[in-house]
Amino acid sequence: MNAAFMSRSSNSDKGPWDIRIEKEVDIVAVRQLVRDLTKAHRFDQFAIAALTTAASELSRNVWVHAKGGSARILLLENGKTVGLELQFADQGPGIADLNRALAGGYSTANSLGLGLSGTKRLVDEFHIDTAPGRGTRIVIRKWKKDF
Amino acid sequence: MASGPIPILKLGSILLATIQVDLHDTVVDAFQHDVLEEIEKTGSSGLIVDISALESVDSYVARMLANTAKMAKLMGSETVIVGMRPAVAATLVRMGYLMSGITTALSLQEGLEFLSNNQNGAVSD
Amino acid sequence: MEHGFRPDYMKILKLDEEECRRRLDFFEITEEDAQRLVSLRSFAEQWTQEITEGLYELIMRHPDSRIFFPDDATLARVKRMQNAYFLKLFSGSYGMDYVRDRLLVGAAHERIGMPPKLYLGAYRRYLALIHEKLRDHFKSDKAESVKALASIRKLIFFDMAIAIDTYIAAYLETMTRHQAAIRELSTPVIKVYDRVLLLPIVGTVDTQRAHQIMETVLVQVVDQQAKVMILDIAGVPVVDTKVADHILQTTAAVQLLGAQTILTGISASVARTVVQLGVEIKRVHTRSKLSEGIELALSIVGKKITAVAPRKDEV
Repeated sequence: MNAAFMSRSSNSDKGPWDIRIEKEVDIVAVRQLVRDLTKAHRFDQFAIAALTTAASELSRNVWVHAKGGSARILLLENGKTVGLELQFADQGPGIADLNRALAGGYSTANSLGLGLSGTKRLVDEFHIDTAPGRGTRIVIRKWKKDF
Repeated sequence: MASGPIPILKLGSILLATIQVDLHDTVVDAFQHDVLEEIEKTGSSGLIVDISALESVDSYVARMLANTAKMAKLMGSETVIVGMRPAVAATLVRMGYLMSGITTALSLQEGLEFLSNNQNGAVSD
Repeated sequence: MEHGFRPDYMKILKLDEEECRRRLDFFEITEEDAQRLVSLRSFAEQWTQEITEGLYELIMRHPDSRIFFPDDATLARVKRMQNAYFLKLFSGSYGMDYVRDRLLVGAAHERIGMPPKLYLGAYRRYLALIHEKLRDHFKSDKAESVKALASIRKLIFFDMAIAIDTYIAAYLETMTRHQAAIRELSTPVIKVYDRVLLLPIVGTVDTQRAHQIMETVLVQVVDQQAKVMILDIAGVPVVDTKVADHILQTTAAVQLLGAQTILTGISASVARTVVQLGVEIKRVHTRSKLSEGIELALSIVGKKITAVAPRKDEV
């Protein structure tokens, strides 16, 4: 574990960790923290890439569409294995047509893409709460494979 | 040679850029600027972008790579992305980003092979 | 009440709001039934103990079922739980909370190892006892008695379905754990030649296995710097859209790395199915026989198989 990771952790190494997303470089901070945590808890390379990428996509959405918001990372334990939960919240414009966004209807080829359907496929659980004018709140979870 | 943190080396008529840092706006802008400046300066016909140090590639980076290749192409240079990690390929495919239009190769050597075949007029892919 | 790890049956059985509503609909449990049952609440409270006693009289009479209740304390506790169970039938509310509660009951029986035959036999007895008491309760009003029994029967069958589901879910959960171990051993990537790899896929390919196959293949392709990856699917029993999708995801990922893929072992029926399903196979070489795939792979790396010249002493 590197020094940067240790300094970011709260009282213990159990989290939760909160990061404000206000500048573009904050996306990198979220990504790095997720990467450090998944590595520290020995997720396999595919899970590390999946969570890191998902964190990156969702933080970027917060920054691009809502011009700012927050990320919260929690370490989960369910008796069988460990997992990571990432929460992203913003007071942005919200998503008008959620079904279309989740079905991949929003173009991901241009900078207005949300990449939600793609991100959903990278994680075990994906919950979203959004509406125009109400901001957006996304929670994702991925568990470490035990076998 | 490069103004940003991504080094660009000249290998004969080919440019080799090795990405080893976390990518975000200023880094990306500097990178694209440097690449195009080098192509212009050296007249190189091929660009190899080594991403073997990247453990994850999100849509932003995927788009950046695709755009860089397009920019280089406009200036007469073919681009090959080399060194993609298994986890990166898996994540991109699972997200649905097939990166069509981008040429990839397993290693620097294969990338160079592809570029030289290309320059000889051989049909690629 | 949670001690140790319990599988999430609601999740395994996909019992969400939608599914619960569909079940209530199929069992024809209506608002009318709910109201009727609520109005019978006092009947339930009056007779639950006697009905429970009648049920356990059967259970304790038979050695097969008796062994699950070895001591008085256990018996007393389950009788209390049985009363609570009975009263809940008359709660009038049969949504997700009700289902979750019934799942726990079924799970408890599965956990102690009570076989379905005993569980269902007990339910039969239970229904008979309730019928008897209802008849007595409604004495003269036969019509009302029939209606009340009908409502209770709907709910009892609804509960039985959930109970059976927990047994199935428990078996599924065990199988999944075993399968996970087997999966680890079932992705042997073979090096056919320098930079040519082969993976014969044998057996069914579900989502989890497909993920594991993709990951193993990708790691091997990079480790071995393979130019060609051959995937032989002759051993996959069923190739439907989902399986085809999984396999093509893997080939797409291999191509993303910069290697080529060859799909072999494509039988006539698979070829027919794939085209009829409208699955597009792009940029992937395909052959019906593995040997043809190997020949193609070798040609891609600049090699070929030729006959050996006869030895001088063989002339």
